[in-house]
Amino acid sequence: MNGIDQDSLLLRMPGGQVLVSSLDRMINASRSNSLWTLTFGLACCAIEMMATGASTYDWARFGFEVPSASPRRADMMILAGTVVRKMVPIIRTLYEQMPEPKYVIAMGSCAISGGPYVYDSYTIVRGMEEIVPVDVYIPGCPPRPEALLHGLMTLQDRIKGQSVKKTGVDA
Amino acid sequence: MTGPEALDALRDRFPGLRAHPPDSAPGAVVEPDALRSHLLNLRDQLRFDFLVFVAGLDRPAQSQMELVYRLFSWETKISVALRVLLPRDAARVDTVCDIYRAAEWHERETAEMFGIEFAGHPDPRKLLLPDDIEGHPLRKDFTHPNMIRLPEVE
Repeated sequence: MNGIDQDSLLLRMPGGQVLVSSLDRMINASRSNSLWTLTFGLACCAIEMMATGASTYDWARFGFEVPSASPRRADMMILAGTVVRKMVPIIRTLYEQMPEPKYVIAMGSCAISGGPYVYDSYTIVRGMEEIVPVDVYIPGCPPRPEALLHGLMTLQDRIKGQSVKKTGVDA
Repeated sequence: MTGPEALDALRDRFPGLRAHPPDSAPGAVVEPDALRSHLLNLRDQLRFDFLVFVAGLDRPAQSQMELVYRLFSWETKISVALRVLLPRDAARVDTVCDIYRAAEWHERETAEMFGIEFAGHPDPRKLLLPDDIEGHPLRKDFTHPNMIRLPEVE
């Protein structure tokens, strides 16, 4: 909703609150039910992510239709796997190339905390929040496809609580 | 050349040839200076046409680094491992990239992980590690600011 002066546009109308609410609901429904995922996997969790996208679990049923091969048209990034320090600038670049609004899901123990590589590793990144803001964490090593679907729907629920007057999902 | 013939030829060439543990490939320790001539010979005369890997071992107790060159022959189906012992504080050996092209990446990885210098390597950049890392991660005494030691469990 860039380029529109939301407040003056909406508040000038009689009964503006109703209009804001409806507009939010419409925009949020559009956003949350058509989340394009960045085609991006890091480690073994990405295998579960692929399984979730394939026909048995089929996340297209819930609005994750298109795996976007370019970050420039992706809405959401699933960090599925272990991140080493050499990977950090690449993830940052991909994240910064995504257009707003953008969402990040940290999938699996490694993306949450470093997982089994917390100790005795010179290269592990202990948690994705060191690199990018994370909206939803999905525990597991790796999480089952059901867990990923639950995480995706959690993200949808949170997007539905957004307002165009305020960016980002609420905690 | 058949497998038994190749094994006999290997035993002639390396009197100390033995498999340790018994079901592994027979191996022999060679001098660093003689490594290249041995490899040339094995490749051209004993038909070892495939370099499986080059690997390092760190033996801080003996102040030694060990290099293992594992060869395989598609003709005789025989494997052999050549081992080279190097002093730990001056680990340096000639490259074998011109004998086996496959050695190129293996030597780059062994160089960055163990701090062994391969003299004459055509492309001595780091292979896997970030360029700014200090130290050699597979040395037993390696430490890094990012490392958290696993706590001792009673």
